[in-house]
Amino acid sequence: MLHVACGRRLLSFIMTTKTQHLHRIATIQGFGKKPRTLTTDDSPIRVEFAQHVDYLNHLNDKRERVVKASRDVTMNSKKVIFQVHRMSKENREETLAKAENDLAAVTNQYMSKLVKELHGTDFWKLRRSYTFAVQEYVEAATLFRFCKSGTLLNLAEINASLLPLTEESIEPLQINVLDYLLGLADLTGELMRLAIGRISDGEIEYAEKICQFVRDIYRELTLLVPIMDDNFEMKKKMETMLQSLVKIENACFSVHVRGSEYIPLLGSADPDYSFLGLADTE
Amino acid sequence: MRGAFRVVAPLFGPSSAVSSRLSPALAPFLPRNPPSPLRRLLSALPPMSDHSPAATPPSAAVSLLESSSFEKQFDDFRVQLEESGNVRERIRAVVMEVEAAVRVMHSSLLLVHHTAPNSEVLDKARAQIEVLKGVFHKLTDILRDSPGQYYRYHGDWRSETQTSVSLIAFLHWLETGNLLVHAEAEKKLGLDNSEFGLDIEDYLIGLCFMSNELPRYVVNQVTAGNYDCPRKVLMFLTDLHAAFRMLNLRNDFLRKKFDGMKYDLRRVEEVYYDVKIRGLGPGDSIPEQNTQA
Repeated sequence: MLHVACGRRLLSFIMTTKTQHLHRIATIQGFGKKPRTLTTDDSPIRVEFAQHVDYLNHLNDKRERVVKASRDVTMNSKKVIFQVHRMSKENREETLAKAENDLAAVTNQYMSKLVKELHGTDFWKLRRSYTFAVQEYVEAATLFRFCKSGTLLNLAEINASLLPLTEESIEPLQINVLDYLLGLADLTGELMRLAIGRISDGEIEYAEKICQFVRDIYRELTLLVPIMDDNFEMKKKMETMLQSLVKIENACFSVHVRGSEYIPLLGSADPDYSFLGLADTE
Repeated sequence: MRGAFRVVAPLFGPSSAVSSRLSPALAPFLPRNPPSPLRRLLSALPPMSDHSPAATPPSAAVSLLESSSFEKQFDDFRVQLEESGNVRERIRAVVMEVEAAVRVMHSSLLLVHHTAPNSEVLDKARAQIEVLKGVFHKLTDILRDSPGQYYRYHGDWRSETQTSVSLIAFLHWLETGNLLVHAEAEKKLGLDNSEFGLDIEDYLIGLCFMSNELPRYVVNQVTAGNYDCPRKVLMFLTDLHAAFRMLNLRNDFLRKKFDGMKYDLRRVEEVYYDVKIRGLGPGDSIPEQNTQA
């Protein structure tokens, strides 16, 4: 495939073997076309670009690895969330125990890979590649903590749990405020589902607890959203959050007004009055 | 660009102060020993705010603790985000100055299209480099207080940097006929390899922007009678394009700009061809008597 001319050029290439190899790749990628050049191959321009080849390859490889690790974190965090949703009055303990294990697996197996790749300036440089995964992870961890103990898992606590994943000499990955807040916004959507589910199960007080919790989060976030970096996404999430909150509040209202007979339609924000006539069968 | 998580030291007291101000519920989660992971933890922890936790109506002791730590976290976030917001505002103000300096330099350089090479024009453009250096230095100063966050705010100065590189690289080529290498470009802008350097992708994109200027330059130079220009530009651009082909680019902005370079190269080749076949270039034959329009 390589032209003889290319072979000759390779021989005259006085660079390191690595650059020769890269040159060969570049030529192959050009479908065998000789790169047009009127100067010799060790021209200062080529010398300069040889280092940039290395730099970009290194950067892109790292980005790939971060994206792969992120995908794993995202998928498995979603699994944790689904697992938590399976919780009901009867199987609460077992479901939560399994969720705890799954979450630990996400932390130890998948977040640890992310942790390994991201240190130094890469933390901010590659943020677009991993932010979604970290948000999902925060969502899963905070959801689990709420179900377990009714409290909000702090950023400090999450970061403390990530510290053991790094060796002492390397700077550990610490989730930043922005990703935490974005994950928190997603959490409220899951909490809405949880609240509706609890109402179906008859656990009205639990639903009201969720309602108050989401209210508090929403209230705190309204002060933070305007001062977040690039807050376009967060603003959209706030709109969704308000809708979720209203759904929860409406559901609690309907239960309060008509008692535990009420089984709400998931996804509908309008109170369902269809049972009005049958409310007396108890 | 190391030392990414160096803490904003003045804001943090000794670690014992940290543990005592966080709710006791959180204390077990704090790492116990080495100073550097603790400093890293502190960098992620929102800085301790001075105001006391918001007053909450007395309820069960546990929930009081929880609600105050709940609010405290958000209070701390607010302080932290306000600070980074301030940094961003300062950066944006300086970036506007960078834009202005870039515009002046660009307008000086545009004069090279009007005449054959002329050192006065280049002098004026060269003088602007000092101005550019000054504004970039201001950016470096602002960033100095937020170590490791170059890429957090990078988007705010990215395109101005790319344009700056294209201008100084073009000027350098006009002066020397050579490519301005990354290290030199960095130095010209007064940057260095520590906290605030010249991002390599910005440098490469800047080179692509420079290449965009060349076809127009070559056309105007030929019109002005500078017939050797096409050969020089063609050699340079061919070499540059070939060097770019060594790079393994993914489908992003840099790739798009590089793809544009091939069209620039093609147009320069056409001008070179036009000049060569008419024997207009120095060293070409001069068939004045024989060729008629």
